[in-house]
Order: sequence, then C-alpha cells, then structure tokens
Amino acid sequence: MKKIFELRNVSKSFDGETVLDHINLDIYDNEFLTLLGPSGCGKTTTLRLLGGFDQPDAGDILFMGERINDLPPHKRNVNTVFQKYALFPHLNVFENVAFPLRERREPKAEIAKKVENMLSLVMLSNLAHRRVTSLSGGQQQRVAIARALIGHPKVLLLDEPLGALDRKLRKDMQAELKKIQQATGITFVFVTHDQEEALSMSDTVVVMSEGKIQQIGSPMDVYNEPKNAFVADFIGESNILDGVMLDDYRVRFSGQTFQCLDAGFDTREAVDVVVRPEDVDVVPVERGQLCGVVTSVTFMGVHYEIIVDIGGFKWMLQTTDFVAVDERIGLYIEPDAIHIMKKSRYSGLYGDYSSFSNELDELSDDADGEAEA
Amino acid sequence: MSRRKHGAQWALLSPYGVWSVIFLVVPLAFVAYYAFTDNGFAFTTENLTRFFTAKSSVTNADGSTREVYTYLLICLRSLKLAAISTVICLLLGYPLAYIMARAHARTQRMLLTLIMIPMWMNFLIRTYAWMTILQDTGILNGFLGALHISPVHIIGTEGAVVIGMVYDYFPYMVLPIYSGLAKLDVKLLEAARDLGCNSAGVLRRVIFPLSLPGVLSGVTMVLIPSISTFYISQKLGNGKFFLIGDAIEGQYTANNLHFAALMAFLLMLALLLCMALMKRLTNRLVYGGGA
Amino acid sequence: MKTTSKVYTAIILVFLLAPIAILLVFSFNDSKSLSVFSGFSLRWYRELFQDEATLRSVKNTVVLAVSAMAISTVMGTAAAVGMHRLRGRWMQRAFDTVTDLPMTNPDIITGISLMLMFVFAGRLFGWQRSLSFWTMLAAHVTFCLPYVILQVLPRLRQMDPALPEAAMDLGCTPFRAFCKATLPELAPGILTGAIMAFSMSLDDFVISYFTAGNGFQTLPIRIYSMTKKTVTPKMYALSTIIFFVILALLLVSNLTDEDAAQKRTKRKSNTKKEH
Repeated sequence: MKKIFELRNVSKSFDGETVLDHINLDIYDNEFLTLLGPSGCGKTTTLRLLGGFDQPDAGDILFMGERINDLPPHKRNVNTVFQKYALFPHLNVFENVAFPLRERREPKAEIAKKVENMLSLVMLSNLAHRRVTSLSGGQQQRVAIARALIGHPKVLLLDEPLGALDRKLRKDMQAELKKIQQATGITFVFVTHDQEEALSMSDTVVVMSEGKIQQIGSPMDVYNEPKNAFVADFIGESNILDGVMLDDYRVRFSGQTFQCLDAGFDTREAVDVVVRPEDVDVVPVERGQLCGVVTSVTFMGVHYEIIVDIGGFKWMLQTTDFVAVDERIGLYIEPDAIHIMKKSRYSGLYGDYSSFSNELDELSDDADGEAEA
Repeated sequence: MSRRKHGAQWALLSPYGVWSVIFLVVPLAFVAYYAFTDNGFAFTTENLTRFFTAKSSVTNADGSTREVYTYLLICLRSLKLAAISTVICLLLGYPLAYIMARAHARTQRMLLTLIMIPMWMNFLIRTYAWMTILQDTGILNGFLGALHISPVHIIGTEGAVVIGMVYDYFPYMVLPIYSGLAKLDVKLLEAARDLGCNSAGVLRRVIFPLSLPGVLSGVTMVLIPSISTFYISQKLGNGKFFLIGDAIEGQYTANNLHFAALMAFLLMLALLLCMALMKRLTNRLVYGGGA
Repeated sequence: MKTTSKVYTAIILVFLLAPIAILLVFSFNDSKSLSVFSGFSLRWYRELFQDEATLRSVKNTVVLAVSAMAISTVMGTAAAVGMHRLRGRWMQRAFDTVTDLPMTNPDIITGISLMLMFVFAGRLFGWQRSLSFWTMLAAHVTFCLPYVILQVLPRLRQMDPALPEAAMDLGCTPFRAFCKATLPELAPGILTGAIMAFSMSLDDFVISYFTAGNGFQTLPIRIYSMTKKTVTPKMYALSTIIFFVILALLLVSNLTDEDAAQKRTKRKSNTKKEH
C-alpha cells in the first residue's frame, strides 16, 4: 500500500508545554484512520500539522514522499472538516460548497454542475440557496463535508466533526461518512475522543495520550491486545490487575494462578493483567476460580453491570444473569480472556472500579503509592 | 401574559416612551412645522424656494465675479468635503483596524487606548490645536523652516478642513471596523486557506465581506458628523468655507429660526435617504448569496 | 507585527497624538504664543484658577453631567428591561427606532429640534426665558439614554433567563428576584452605560449650544465663546488637567480590570489542575 503521509519524529510545543512528543506515524492510501484520545492528548494538533495550520518544532512531515513542513494550507492537496464546521456566514450553501472552485476560477457552468452533484451526494440539493446560518447541525455538517470534498483532496481531515450532533444523528452520520469514504476512495483522518466511534468506523486506530502515540492497530487489535493500561482503560471497560508471570503461559494475580496465552516475559516479571468485563463468567461459588461479594448492580438494558469486591479490589463484570447485591458469587476466566501487558507509566492509574463505591479517594491514593513502590 | 406582568412592563417602559415622544418625536415634528411656516406661523413654501433659488456672487481667481446658487453650492461643498474625509478615514482606518485585530491581545488593548486618547480632549480644543499647528506662522511651518523646506499655506483651504474632519472623527471609523474584525472566527480564515485561498484571497473573499457591517457603521459615524459640523470649517477654513452646518448655525444666530429649520429638515431627509440606501447596499453585498 | 505594520501604526499614532502632545506642552509655555515655546511656567494654571467664569462653567458642566447620568441610567435601565420583554413586533421596532434616532441623527438636528420646541413652548406659555438649565438637562438626558440602553440590552440578551426564575422558585417575589438575580448580572452594563452617559454629557457642545440658556454656561460653550477670539494657553491648561483626570480614571479602571482578569485565569488553571 502507498504511504500518503509520514510523520517522522515530529514534536510540537505551545508556550513551553509539549503537545506532541516525537510522533512517528504512517498514513496509507485509501485508509480510514482515527486519532483517538482524551482532550489534550495532541490529536487535534497532529491534524493541524497535517492540514498545514501549524508547523512542527522538530521532525518532518512527508506528503507522498516529499517534505512539506512549511507548505501553507492552500498549497496542500488536503482538506479539513472543522469541528464547528467554520461555514462562511456571508455565503449561502451553494457558494460555500463552490468556494474552492471559484478560487481556482473554474468556468461557471462547470462549477454549477460540480456543486449540484456534490450537494446531491450529501442530500442537500433542495437547500442550495438557503443561508448556512438557517440550517440544522446535521445539515451544516453535510455542507462542511461537501465543501471539503469538492476539490478532490488526497486526504480529508475531520476534527471531531460529529461532536455537536445528538446521539441518533451521530450514528447515521458515522455510517454515511464511512460510505462516502468508500465511495470516493479518499484517505480519511478522523479525530475523536469517542472510542465507540473510533472502533466502528476505522481501518486503523491511533491511540494517543500526553503527546505520545500509545498504540497503532486495527480496531480489533487495540481492543483485544492493548499495549498498556492506558489503552486498555480508554478503549472499552477493563479490570486491570497487578500480576506476576510465573513462566510462559502462567500468570498469578488476585492470589490465584491462571493459564493464559502470553509468553516471552522474564520469569517472575511484574505485569499488568487486563480482563474485560464481558469475558468473565459468573458461576456458583464452588466452581469459581475467584469469588467475591457483589456491591452494586446496574441494569443497562442488554446486560447488568455489576461490581464485585474480590479481596479489596473492585471488578466490573457484565452479565445477562441477574445477581443480587451482597450475594457471594464465583468468577471463571478462560485463558483467552486474560491479556498480559508490560508494566508502563500508566500501571496502577486505571482499571479498578472502586469509584463505584464511596471509597474513591483512599483507594486511588493507595494505587498511586503501589505504582511508585 | 398575565395582566399583572403587562402592568409591570408598562411601568418600566412608559417613562422612556413618554420621554422619547416629548423630547425626540415632537421636536422633529417642530422642525418640519417651522420649516414650512413664516414668522407668524402661517404655512409657506418661501423658505424652500429661498433655499433652492437664492443666489450670490463669488469672486473667481482672476478677479471676475459669477452668480451661484448660494445654498446648493454650500450643500455640494459639504457633501464633497465630508465624502473626502470619510474616504480618507476609511483608507487609513481599515488597515489600522486590521493590524490591531491581528495583534497580540496586550498590543490590541494598548493601541485601543492610544487611539481613543484624542477623544478625551474636548472637540473644540482639539480643533483649535490644529489651527495653531497649521497657521502660516504655526508649528508645522516652523518645523518645515527648520528643515529648510519652504512654508506651506494650509489654513483657510479646503484641505485644512478635511484634515480637521479626519482627525476629529478618525477613531469613529477605526473602532467599529476593529471590533468587527476582532470578532471574526479564526477558524473561518483557516477554512479559507484550507480551501485554496492565499493570504490575498482570504482577505478578499472572507475577511472583507464579513467586515462590511463594521465598515458601514464606521462610514455612518464619520459621514454624519462631518457633513453637519460647523466648528471645524469656521476655525480651519477661516470662515471662508461655509458648510451646511455653518449655514444652519448662522441662521440660528441671526434668529431666522424658520429658515434654519428648513435646512435642518432637508439635511435630515437627505441623510435618512442616504443611510437607507447604504444599508440596502451592504445587505446585498454581505448576504447577497441568498435568493 | 511585521515591520510595515509597525511603521504604519506609528505614523497614524503620531498624527493622532502629536496635537495632543503639543497642547500639553504649550500649556506650560511662558509666553502667550501657541507656536513658539519660550520657557516653562505655570502661569496659565495660575490664571486658570483665577478665572471665575471658567471655573463656574466647569462646575455647571459637572452638575449637568451628573444629573443627566443619574436620570438616564435609571430610566434607561428600566427601559432596557421593558424592551427586552417586549413581544409585539411592531412595538419592538418602534422602540428600536426611537433608540437609534439620537445616535444616527446629526447633533445639530437634535439640538435645533429641541431648541425649536422649547422656544415654541416658551412663547405659548409666556415664559420669560424659555432656555435654561432644565431644557439643557432634558436635552442631555435625551441623547444619553440610548447609550445606557444599548449597554444594558445586550447584557439582558446574554443572561440566562432561568436566573430570575430560579430566584422566584427559591421564594423571591418578582421584584426581589429582579434585584437579587437580574440586577447583578446587568451591573457591568449599567456601569459602562453610566460612564458613557457621563462622558457624552461632559463633552457635548453642539446640542448644548442650541439648548443653553443665557444664564447657564457649560465648559464647551465657554470654550466656544473664547475661541471666537484668540485663545490663551489657559484653555490648554484646563484641557491638560481634564486629560490627566481621565487618564487617572482609566488607569484605575484598567488596573482593576486586569486584576479581575488575572484572578479569573488563575482560577481557571487551578480547576484545570484539579481534574
């Protein structure tokens, strides 16, 4: 596959605060790539560097193999869908979409034809002469997409474009964006903090935190094989426990020894163990590998979300069987439900569900202490 | 809405409503009334006829004299000088407002204060200061003399009047344009660059159209006072250039209230027409995209 | 800023500020000349404080400005609240037009129109002197009102309408709710409006000129009559004093502003850290 964008050791800081810290990233042709992370992780800055709105302090940005660090936005074959759309309030829908074509001084008839085609692609043909300020959020969104696509960019950058829409509309637009991406074959670089959105739309997910890339992989990869505690916690729900690798395929945590599928660690290496809430079976106490007391039960529609206290650590489990608060239950974990990660600076910061109880402060303090020890 | 709520609202609004009728609407009606009556308050169009037909003779440069329509000439001159001043204010003020809007927040605040400093000085004193600067034996010519440049004669020319108008009303042009430009969403400028505009393109296709409402209010705020001023022309024009404001003031001092009222009435009418036209024009220019 | 921008800004600032600087300098001139500086002296300041007519006109101006400010602030704030609640389209437009009128009408027309009415009323009721302090006050209140209204109205529009409702929900009468919830939100707008009204009244010449009675002379009118003849640097001295008074006021308000802004950003960064 052809590389479109390459970021090589890119760093950027604002007012002495490092926002991007030696980022390396390849973006391939015809790919739907998502930059995922909490606010302040550097994902929007990365997008702005690709768009040419900011320049990196160090490192190189390559576009089709050429260094473009200082190339201004209007000379890049890349367009952006802005977070709050940035539609021109003095122009109507038609003129907003026609904007890049007029800049290139294309013939009038040509422009009219292209804009009409584009508006019908985003299903706005009947609103061509409306003022953009009179449109709903979803309609403005479509105008922004049409305007960014009409110049046939090589890459479309989308900065949290669905953030302002309500839940239902979001779902529809997600499907529609994916459809447009497949129909046009344009590379999409999508920024979001919504992990569900990232997993459902992307070919590649780039998880970022504190200016660093934590993991790059397919949605399945980052969900099933998180690289560290941060990724495990940010994507989906995770119980993250301190464990010790006894030897290959054997790990000990919560006072028990478990079979697992991971190998290649040092003997007695301390590790983080991730268990997804939906991968744990609730069984009668006598059949469980672990057992604990249910401290809370929340009905979520499809399943119940329950918190279980096992030796002072709160686990979150998802189960379709009803259990009662204060009931003692057993837990059974299959080897393929156990993911082993190397210790990282995120160890001990995430992955216990004590915030569901009132003991939040003491417990998280304890966790900090242990991580340092 | 309940009756009680209505009551409270009218208690709040009626003082202002009554005040405005007595001290704004009724007085304007009096302008019209005085304009078309004579000293005995009988209806007459004599004032109107006088305005359009009164003639006087002026001396040409070569010493010969010619007959001119007194008040029409004054109107034309007022319009000309006010228009020139407004255009100069716009041409000088727009770039400044633009520079200010793009500057660092601290610099913006400082420049704003500096630009408003002249407004803390009384308008009459400010104008008088210019008189002492522009006089034939004034500071400007003293300065030029020190540089061995031959002195210039400015005071008493139309140029001096224009300088005075530009100086006095310049902040009124800069401030509304600046506040419009400062409000502009940076994302719009980025979007324009993203869609292929270079700097000039961004200025022409996004910044300028969106700043037009500010330009309109700036033009209004300079044009109106400069077309109706009567002090600047007296001091800097040495009283040689009667403007419409001077004519009104002169008739007032001479106690010709009815003729003064007629001129005020015509001025008001012309300005209203002018404003309506300009508003229409900017609406078309700024939001002309819509059907 | 780029160099060309800097140079351009500097040239404009010189044009704007040079006359003011000249004025300040010549207020300390030893001689009567307004173009040749012959030595430093406080002569004109001394003369100023012996000129009773001018001092009286300063007092008149301040009395007038304070009265006009007080009346227009109260009436204007009430009017803004009323206009904000106004629902009928036609009434809304009528009040908007009336508010715009003194701002778009040239001063000379506002002045002439008021003068004509006062003179007419004077004739009608046989008053001896139809123009007085009171006619001037009425005129000043009239042109100050829009400044107050146009400062308060945007504040009302920005305000969360749930605020007074919450106060009423918590047991306030509508009037108490207005005082405790609405008024504090409007306070900055009211203050700015009052300051603008005060300074507009202080600085007004044209409208005062047409509506002033013989017995009541404000400072701008005094200056006007003095500039009919040649002006002595006494007027410059007076302007210099006024200039520094305003400068001091602005500095104080700027400092308190900056203080508040600093506190705000500090608070913000603190909350950021807590998260």
